[in-house]
Amino acid sequence: MSLATANRDRRHLLIWLVPPLLWFAVFMLIPYCMLFYYSFGSTEYMTFKPGFSPANLIRVFRTEPYLSVLLKSARIGACTAIGATILAYPVAFCLAFHTRSARAKFVIYLLVIVPWWAAYLVKAYAWKTILGTNGIINALLLDLHLIHEPLTLILYNQFSVILTLVYIFTPFSILSIYAQLERIPTSLLEASSNLGATTFETLTKIVIPLSLPGVLAGAIITFALATGDFIAPALVGGPDALMISNVVINLLGVAFDWPMAASIGIVVIGVGIALISVSQYVEHRAQARF
Amino acid sequence: MSPIIEVRRLQKHYGGPLAVRDISLCVNEGEFLSLLGASGSGKTTTLRMIAGLETPTHGSVWFRGRDITHVPVAQRDMRMVFQDFALFPNLSVWENVAFGLKLRLNRGRITRGEIKARVHRYLDTVQLSAHADKMPHQLSGGQRQRVALARALVTDPPVVLFDEPLGSLDANMRKVMQLELKRLHRELRKTFIYVTHDQEEAMGLSDRVAVLQDGQLLQLGTPDEVYFRPTSAAVASFIGAANVLQGTAEVVPGKPLGVRLLGGWRLDATEEAPGITNGERVTIMLRAEQLGIAPAAGEIAHGLRAQITERLFLGEKVRYELTVPGTELRLTAVSGGDHLRLSLGDEVLVTADARHVRVLPGAPSPRVDA
Repeated sequence: MSLATANRDRRHLLIWLVPPLLWFAVFMLIPYCMLFYYSFGSTEYMTFKPGFSPANLIRVFRTEPYLSVLLKSARIGACTAIGATILAYPVAFCLAFHTRSARAKFVIYLLVIVPWWAAYLVKAYAWKTILGTNGIINALLLDLHLIHEPLTLILYNQFSVILTLVYIFTPFSILSIYAQLERIPTSLLEASSNLGATTFETLTKIVIPLSLPGVLAGAIITFALATGDFIAPALVGGPDALMISNVVINLLGVAFDWPMAASIGIVVIGVGIALISVSQYVEHRAQARF
Repeated sequence: MSPIIEVRRLQKHYGGPLAVRDISLCVNEGEFLSLLGASGSGKTTTLRMIAGLETPTHGSVWFRGRDITHVPVAQRDMRMVFQDFALFPNLSVWENVAFGLKLRLNRGRITRGEIKARVHRYLDTVQLSAHADKMPHQLSGGQRQRVALARALVTDPPVVLFDEPLGSLDANMRKVMQLELKRLHRELRKTFIYVTHDQEEAMGLSDRVAVLQDGQLLQLGTPDEVYFRPTSAAVASFIGAANVLQGTAEVVPGKPLGVRLLGGWRLDATEEAPGITNGERVTIMLRAEQLGIAPAAGEIAHGLRAQITERLFLGEKVRYELTVPGTELRLTAVSGGDHLRLSLGDEVLVTADARHVRVLPGAPSPRVDA
């Protein structure tokens, strides 16, 4: 092959790079650039003025309530991640090691996935009818004469938000942990018990350490999704459970302070990138062993 | 010698055909016993039932006279070396080997110093002391195999089970590990039960070989018994290269048994074969390497006329596939001698010594290829 045809072939190959690059530019690069563009600007009488000031980024950390709402959102996200992991682990474990027939596996898998066919809004709303003053729980407790008037403690607070978010995002944790557990050869469990380990010892010394990358990946997904959620706090969260996305929505749609909203967005994205980097590092170290 | 492991009428059903039909055998204290068979013969399932990793559908497993059929895996006094080694990827070589001992530490049955000394000694035995701090994924296949061995041996179990432990190693490494296993068995005097589909491995390593097929025990004996005195055509064809032929018995009182084969070839068998009557159909075995071959034009007058259909020069020996009217013969001859001049299509004379003719009991069964 001559050099000229080689070059021409290379040019032909470059054509295939155009669609992904275009996609990346339109959906990733340009939006991020705009985010930075807005965050360094300012507003005057609700109109945007471009600029190069980091003042908005500084305000995220200095001005109330931004930082405290951000921290509260992170706390709710962390609680959701922990709750989802605790609920997900036994299910994933059963699915990976105790479900031998392919049909049973498929059914459990389906039961995990199917709730995702229902709209998010409907699922969040469902918890309102379960936890509300005239909801299922209160009705039951009243009928059993355990309480005399409806409990108000269980709805419109951070607890109800976490409960709803755990319910909605647990499938992510299940799938993430299950994918990791599936990689553990059954022979490792057999070897462990062959060497004299009890089921509990096998679990703590072999299974859990080996499943940590999956647990971590699941926790980060649920944490990120929960921290940035705005529907659950709007539906089942009271004034106490206002989260960072609700603040951003207000800044965008009510206060028209786009630079401030963009700055909060950048901080949230930064935290997300940092978390994903940590999880990737941990995963790389762990997966090399398999 | 007393039996240490005994399995009685073992059967395993997974829902399809029976994986293990009916196996009974005794393993003696300190013995190296191989379970040999093709895939699907039930050898691994039998081993796993001995280990307690599978529960038998019927039958029982006995350890030193005690029924352990329903004793959990963790409480059985035997260690297993798995086919994929099953090293714990999150633990270092040292921690892998120490795993079983550390469990005893938690139960107060061993001290830390003792663990250190024993792990050290066994890593030394398998020549891995220099790699103690490495992770399993940093080791070669042969080294992983050694870790698995050390991990199984360090707890000093009376019985060690091997599930095709050399299956994933390359040919050279396999030979090295075979010698190593033989040496370890000699030095440690433990009972080894070894599953393999490699007949040379089984015969070379073991004191006794159990030949399995379709979930049944065909024969249990020393390697040379199984090789030279197979009790069935299936064993004869599975082990080594054998010719299993059918013929008619010629019984003359006071004389050795004669067998007339299909091609009109008449052979004498030195062996006493009581109960065989004149004219009865018999099955005989002739080992491929025990047949003689000579050019048809040579000075040998008797023998069977055959034609060479395939000839493989293998260095130390030459393998021949021959046809005679009605059947085919396999023959291997040591390199050297007249036959080296032969080529494909040549007419040859095949000879057999009466000492080597083995009359097989029972009806002929279909040929099994290893």
